Amino acid sequence: MDDEVYAFAVKSALNEIRNICPEIISAFMFKEDGEIIAGDDATSEKTMVRVVDSFDTILEKADAIGGVDSITFEGSKSRLNMSCMNEVYLVTVASEKADMKYVNATTRVIIPTVLKLLEKICSSPIRKNSPLPATEPKFQVDEEIKEPPEEPTEKSITEEFEELPKPEIKPPIKPETSLPEPPVNQLIVENLGGLLVPSDIVRIDNEILTQWSNLYEGSKIEEVEIGTFDGKTTRCKVKPIKDSKYEGKGIIQMPEKVQLALEIKKGELVRARPIIEGGG
Amino acid sequence: MVKKKRGIPEPEISIPEPIVTEEATSTSSLRTTLEEIKTYGGVIGYILRNSSSAAIDLNDPTKIIDYAILSSSALDSSEKLSELFDLGTVKNIIVEGKDVQMLSLMIGENKISIFLEKGADYEKILKKLC
Repeated sequence: MDDEVYAFAVKSALNEIRNICPEIISAFMFKEDGEIIAGDDATSEKTMVRVVDSFDTILEKADAIGGVDSITFEGSKSRLNMSCMNEVYLVTVASEKADMKYVNATTRVIIPTVLKLLEKICSSPIRKNSPLPATEPKFQVDEEIKEPPEEPTEKSITEEFEELPKPEIKPPIKPETSLPEPPVNQLIVENLGGLLVPSDIVRIDNEILTQWSNLYEGSKIEEVEIGTFDGKTTRCKVKPIKDSKYEGKGIIQMPEKVQLALEIKKGELVRARPIIEGGG
Repeated sequence: MVKKKRGIPEPEISIPEPIVTEEATSTSSLRTTLEEIKTYGGVIGYILRNSSSAAIDLNDPTKIIDYAILSSSALDSSEKLSELFDLGTVKNIIVEGKDVQMLSLMIGENKISIFLEKGADYEKILKKLC
């Protein structure tokens, strides 16, 4: 299951929660690294990014209290709650009139259930970025074969599988013949400045670059395509983040020129995917 | 004959003084209340600060910096979040950690954060302070 399908499932669950509890004004979810998973229809991407940004320092310093279970801002008009569920964070804003026991009971049952279901369907854990291993389709084939009622044994599965008319599947699939679909990562824009900074290079977590590289059997990722939620895209050279304070936070460091080209600024969310020669 | 002086305003009352005294009194009374709260079961300590002074009383002094940053981050982000979602005046913030809970609130210009053990009752503290 790719990120978009996963996000769609979470988004639908959040919208359903709002239908059940109309007092919920806003609901969205994000990962530990700040990447937004999905939000309900009423909450804009920009708002979500700004909220995650606000929580950033609190979550960073929360080690002192053993990590965060939940945060509640009790306002005179409404209440904002952020709670940690299965290593992701759910943010809800509910009006003053809301019965918090009911809201909490609903969200704390529905969301973990949906997440568990999605984790079962999706082979990779949700907190990891999407790049699916090249062997992923194989699991799906096995599952499909298990279903026929002909008491399949391991041997018969293999035999049946071999007998199927197949488009010449050679055991190790070479990247030259079929490259996997490029993964898309959501990243938060951070400024990249300095005297010697080239204006056409962005910087991304080395971990993400390694994941991408592994997906393409060690190919060096030298370029990325960056897309905004308004549909603007650009291609840039990419290098790993140097500054350790930005590592592991789902950040993309971007020179001002690129930000201007994409009409975005620090704190906003973009999508980035690797460009592979002959595939991306 | 000595003429009476007219129209010269007499510089007598200085207004800021009573306000400063009032603020000092309210801060000092808050501090007394916090000292009392500190004796409640499960209370680890507190941070009280305003534009001119700060008072910190924590059982574990090694945590002062971390707790102070956590407290100020929570209080600072409340303004931004309130603006984003129209929360109104943020009455209090509760950060439930896995080991410790933090209750933060603003009374006048005083920013207060109280640290409690996990599971300790903060409702009693809220009643005492509000």
